[in-house]
Amino acid sequence: MGKAVKIALAGEGGQGVQSVAQILTEAAALEGKEILYIPNFGVEQRGGVSIAFVQIGDEKIGAPKFKTGDIVIALSDRAVRRVKMHVGPETIFVYDASIEGVEEDLPANARKILAIPALETANKELHPRVFNVLIMGAVIGATRVVTVEKAKEAIEKKLGYKFEKDPELRELNFKAVEKGIELVERMGVA
Amino acid sequence: MGSKPIEGERKVFMTGNEAVAWAALAAGADIMYGYPITPQNEIMQYWTRLGPKYNKKFLQTEDELSAGFTTIGGVLAGRRAFTATAGPGNVLMQEPMSMAEAMRIPTVVVIQQRGGPSTATVIYSQQEVTLTCFGGNGEGLRVVYSTSSHQDLFDYTIKAFNTAWKYRFPTFVLSDGYQAKMRESVVIYDPEARGIRMVPTEPFLGKAGTPGEDRPAAHLRNTYNIEEELLEVLSKDIEEYERVAPEIIEYDAYNTENADLLVIAHGVVFRSAAMAVKELANQGYKIGYFRPITLRPFPREQLRQAAQQAKQLLVVESAYGQLLKIVQDNLYGLNVPIKTLLRPGVGITPEEIAEKAKALLAGKEA
Repeated sequence: MGKAVKIALAGEGGQGVQSVAQILTEAAALEGKEILYIPNFGVEQRGGVSIAFVQIGDEKIGAPKFKTGDIVIALSDRAVRRVKMHVGPETIFVYDASIEGVEEDLPANARKILAIPALETANKELHPRVFNVLIMGAVIGATRVVTVEKAKEAIEKKLGYKFEKDPELRELNFKAVEKGIELVERMGVA
Repeated sequence: MGSKPIEGERKVFMTGNEAVAWAALAAGADIMYGYPITPQNEIMQYWTRLGPKYNKKFLQTEDELSAGFTTIGGVLAGRRAFTATAGPGNVLMQEPMSMAEAMRIPTVVVIQQRGGPSTATVIYSQQEVTLTCFGGNGEGLRVVYSTSSHQDLFDYTIKAFNTAWKYRFPTFVLSDGYQAKMRESVVIYDPEARGIRMVPTEPFLGKAGTPGEDRPAAHLRNTYNIEEELLEVLSKDIEEYERVAPEIIEYDAYNTENADLLVIAHGVVFRSAAMAVKELANQGYKIGYFRPITLRPFPREQLRQAAQQAKQLLVVESAYGQLLKIVQDNLYGLNVPIKTLLRPGVGITPEEIAEKAKALLAGKEA
């Protein structure tokens, strides 16, 4: 229902899914879009599966939670099992290619299932710390929900204080977004 | 220090808790009293971050009993004071708010409902409706606004201060963990720029002049020796509550004329209900919705009018029949069938409501 793009992003606590959601929604806000972002949270301070539910559209967003996402991303084995329920026939399901032992748990009803080598790419070509920004690139690549320019602007806004101390980090983050988009484009989704 | 927290108005993207803190600031609140509990913590956090720039005060108390009583103290001193809590904290808050009810103290309390009973979840529910409306050892002479968006949170937090100080009944902004934690756009504004005049505050105690000579004595009571004495005071308060209720009542309704199905929901669940209803109405179904914005006082006549035209009703809530009880009470005597979708402590999607509504409209479900 409604025309907003629905994104569910899940990973282990500490993998940075909420940071990704914050930067992505900030970028959408900079574009003047309507957004609804709700983090899933429990009583634990650390650990556990962390999920970000994000909706971005041109009109005011209705309900905060949704049953089926347009794009559902899982960054760990537990996350795959947890967010499977948010996959439907229209969903693009993305997971990291390095996750092992989930073959049986992958959703059977998705429109498309993409295993992207995000972790490997981040580790080998960039830096492990920009893994989550690379994932954000993958979301943008699959949905075109914000432009690369606004994504970079949002990264600058959120992490600019870190870039001042370490300017190389800026380039690394910008490259990570572009690489993420590329990974998904290569799979013929965008 | 000194200048207005918000000049004119601006569109921002923030959490509901942040919107509440900004609203309290915009409303000219002087002090917040509070004790931490998820999911309302960030109201305190933002208030303490924003407040000092505008000479605002904050006191963290030892628990919610104390937070409620100190809020009463702040009001007695003539300060626009408020507190915020949730779940088990709301349970403790009932003791001081009962006193506020007895003494007609214009307290403002923001509630971010979490799962219950007891500690349950820190996430979300609509299970604090009965508690917030009728939680004290009294008659529930209070005002309860149920919000469904960040705009509501901002608007009704400002309004709560005016309702409280104008009518002198404890006033609650009833929200939930979803609204507290989610981020969405909201237009924040200076009330004055919108023509909203804040009702001035005044001290209840320590006024100038000699009591009995220059002014009546301030005689605030919550204790009575004889039954009739209590009845006399309560009768006066009840009469006044019922007299001003029509001025306070707020609701929203859509497509209620001769509906085959009328969906009733409040708070954040109303958003899902509205989406489902509009989608089905677009498909040609005769379906409408009714949303009480004030749960106390309740828009009784308006709901009765909509309900008596409907073939059946569907009450939807993230609780096991708390709104339902209020609806049934207010519709007593009408024989329209009431169906339910009750999901205590969990969110409800538009798809779930649409599915239930379709089944009812097709006569497939009794």
